[in-house]
Amino acid sequence: MMGLIKGMGVTLKTMTKQKVTRKYPDEPMEMPDRFRGIQHFDPEKCIVCNQCVRVCPTDCISLTGRKHPDPGKRGKVIDTYDINFEICILCDLCTEVCPTEAVVMTQHFELAVYTRDELFKDMGWLHENDSKIRSVNNVNARGVKK
Amino acid sequence: MSMGILMGPVGLLFIVLGFVTFAILFERKVIGWMQARIGPNRVGPWGMLQTVADILKLLIKEDTIPSKADHPLFKWAPVIAFVPSFAVLAVIPFTDQWVFADLGVGLLYYIAVSSITTIGMLAGGWASNNKYALLGALRSVAQMISYEIPLIMSVVGVILSAQTLNLTKIVEAQEDLWFIVPQFLGFIVFFIASLAELNRTPFDLPEAESELVAGYHVEYSGFRFAFFMLAEYVYVFAMASLTTVLFLGGWKPVFGLDLVPPILWFSLKFLLVVFSLFWIRATLPRIRMDQLMQLGWKLLLPLALLNIFLSAVLKEVFPGVY
Repeated sequence: MMGLIKGMGVTLKTMTKQKVTRKYPDEPMEMPDRFRGIQHFDPEKCIVCNQCVRVCPTDCISLTGRKHPDPGKRGKVIDTYDINFEICILCDLCTEVCPTEAVVMTQHFELAVYTRDELFKDMGWLHENDSKIRSVNNVNARGVKK
Repeated sequence: MSMGILMGPVGLLFIVLGFVTFAILFERKVIGWMQARIGPNRVGPWGMLQTVADILKLLIKEDTIPSKADHPLFKWAPVIAFVPSFAVLAVIPFTDQWVFADLGVGLLYYIAVSSITTIGMLAGGWASNNKYALLGALRSVAQMISYEIPLIMSVVGVILSAQTLNLTKIVEAQEDLWFIVPQFLGFIVFFIASLAELNRTPFDLPEAESELVAGYHVEYSGFRFAFFMLAEYVYVFAMASLTTVLFLGGWKPVFGLDLVPPILWFSLKFLLVVFSLFWIRATLPRIRMDQLMQLGWKLLLPLALLNIFLSAVLKEVFPGVY
């Protein structure tokens, strides 16, 4: 009997308390810094080593490169870089393996679209996705050597 | 004059429909707040149009009738359930002026007419020709009939004190002291039994939305289903009014504050009762079927009988107070 009255007291007190729900679509959700969100890609840093394509467990990354336009320079430059977010599982392996931190994680996560085609993101889109970038991506990255 | 006779009940119907609309919203809001949520807030400002949208959705739904159902009875059951819920409002005195039918046996009328709804539920469950609906109907009817007895027995104390069945005179008998004080035991029994009569948590076994598909109205959809739900909420209105009239002194002011109009006093007490219904729903878990029957027959009924006995004895011993 006292338990019932105690319970009634608890609910009455909860009424005026701070709400625990979030107004998510109205107020954007802040993700923690180490959140694995949609990748940002920087074509300047990419050395076309193809490691991200090889490590990707779902084969969602495809890239093409060409010889450096300056004949005096060695290596390649990136031509196209696409991630298919229909199958990307945001596992973080591509950023872990990238030696130059050309592909890094951001805290963005909103991928709801009306057609499946829209989930196929190209290099331009991934380059523009440049806000809320994760601060630490690859601890072993050596930086770009040009 | 005939126009006036017609306009009153129509006006009351709109008031009741407005109450039902906002009571459902307020119920969801209160339960939300009590669970540290916000409650409905998307449709209209402050979620005001949430119930309107819900009802609109019900009205545009397909009206399904099972082919093996008893068609006439299936169609009549919601009407049988709803009409008494509105008919009982005729005897409720909202103020000393505003009462539609000042019957000498108002309380008896209320109790007698309100039990017709049980037949509507049973008819709905039976006419569906569905074993789950029938079982649900049997469960509802068992509960409604079991709790009607302590409900009626608990108001006998009030009738003894007021020496009348007329609801207006019962309110006037509470000029000095509301019946909740001398009839406290009766009030407790009445309140618990009225919760069970209204099929509200912790006695909402007929529906039990978190455990069962539904009760007697499992085959109903759209408009007819809305009618069953409407009947339920009109009974909330009626039962909260009756509680106010019987135990909380109706339109009588507190501490002699006559400045506030009587209808406002009635509304305040009425809303307090409605709020406690929501409060209880947000707090208490549903009780088991066997516990339900034991509570009704082994606890509430003896308490109600004891209350009658005590009221009669105290009336003889202290004739001035009681």
